[in-house]
Amino acid sequence: MTSTALQVSDTYPASPSGIRAAEGTAGASLDLLRIVRINEQIKAVVAVAFKINIMALNAIFLAKRAGSAALGFGVLSNELRVFSRDLRTQMESLRQLIHASVVEVSRLLQHSRYSRLLAAGVQLSGGNARLEEVLRRRDREAQARRETLSRLRRELKLALEDAFQLVELGGVLAKSAKIEAAYGQSFAGALAQVSGEFDGIVEEIRGSLETLKKSSFFGGR
Amino acid sequence: MKKTQTIFQDGTHKWVAIVRDPERPDSLIDTNEYLVANGVQGLILDPGGAEIFPAVFSALAAEFDPSAVVGLFASHQDPDIISSLAMWLEFNPKMHCYTSWLWESFIPHFGGTSDTFVPIPDEGMEIGLNGLTLTAVPAHYLHSSGNFHLYDRQARMYFSGDVGAALLPPEEAGLFVEDFDRHIKHAEGFHRRWMGSNEAKRRWCERVAQMEIDMLCPQHGAIYQGADVQRFINWFDELQVGILRG
Repeated sequence: MTSTALQVSDTYPASPSGIRAAEGTAGASLDLLRIVRINEQIKAVVAVAFKINIMALNAIFLAKRAGSAALGFGVLSNELRVFSRDLRTQMESLRQLIHASVVEVSRLLQHSRYSRLLAAGVQLSGGNARLEEVLRRRDREAQARRETLSRLRRELKLALEDAFQLVELGGVLAKSAKIEAAYGQSFAGALAQVSGEFDGIVEEIRGSLETLKKSSFFGGR
Repeated sequence: MKKTQTIFQDGTHKWVAIVRDPERPDSLIDTNEYLVANGVQGLILDPGGAEIFPAVFSALAAEFDPSAVVGLFASHQDPDIISSLAMWLEFNPKMHCYTSWLWESFIPHFGGTSDTFVPIPDEGMEIGLNGLTLTAVPAHYLHSSGNFHLYDRQARMYFSGDVGAALLPPEEAGLFVEDFDRHIKHAEGFHRRWMGSNEAKRRWCERVAQMEIDMLCPQHGAIYQGADVQRFINWFDELQVGILRG
């Protein structure tokens, strides 16, 4: 029994459907791992984006207390609050795309696992017309899923690009806030601290998005 | 897709229920999966059937990093418990599967190699999860002849597999038991028919009644909490099981 099982495994790639199924399983499990990594990073960015909203609120109150000495800083704080809201919206759309991708890749993994077993059945039975037809139908279904996944991959890449552009704007706002802080007279120290924290967080998000853009998930197929 | 709900949390030690898939075909019995997480490691209890793998995986991923799942706990050998094994192993071939020694050569029909399985002896064993000690509690013949539950003493959480299961109508499909007397009617037929031994049942009731349990979490239906846990143990103790009708 063991030697038969080994034979199946060794000879199985000879069937075209078998090769596709085997490649499909390996590709899907790798994709799943990659998408899980992306998902984890996006979860981290969402958590940080929420922090920015709280910081922006604090900055607005601080600017109000500083009064006329921090008029420019107040304007920028409001802009940073708008930025944090837009960033969270953008992250939510990324999260939805990631979720859809996880679903699609896990379905592909499930699909290719079954197809691989069916292909081994075709081969061991010396070719069975009905089973071969089943495999062909499954190949077509898998192809449709792969196309859906490619579309999601493209949408995800674009959404990441948009998020990145948004974060660039956030970076400019944070740096301008740092400059405005210097005019804050007796509040200059507190304003500088807040704007420095903004800048640090925006840089953190930028770093995470840079890493995400480089994910191998966007590289292939 | 399935929903997740954290039912216990103390820092990074938590229990997450993965439940109620509105897209599940009627032909599949509804199942509850549970994640026990402790810091950077997670263990999935009864990860479910192959057909629902995408729903369970994607729900889990929204809550916890699936790469941090180090093991699967299979209370017994049924397909709704562990037929997704092959897919989990495709994702992470290093995952271990804890199950009764009795099923060590049966469950590999769903996938896995000899390295995958950690056989649990009949008397049970302790399972470590990043410093947390979980206990595999014997529940043989309830209903499977090699059957284990999982107890988390620190969290006072008890995963009871098919014990406590109920087949709930959609209008009563809440995650927690709200009205015990009403709820238990949906559990009675299942327990009478599926649980095979009055003696095994009595022993289980005696053992579990000694434990400190805040929640008893079955693989189907709703979770018993607070006083309903003991209420369920008393009810089960009185029930005559292993009969076809009545």
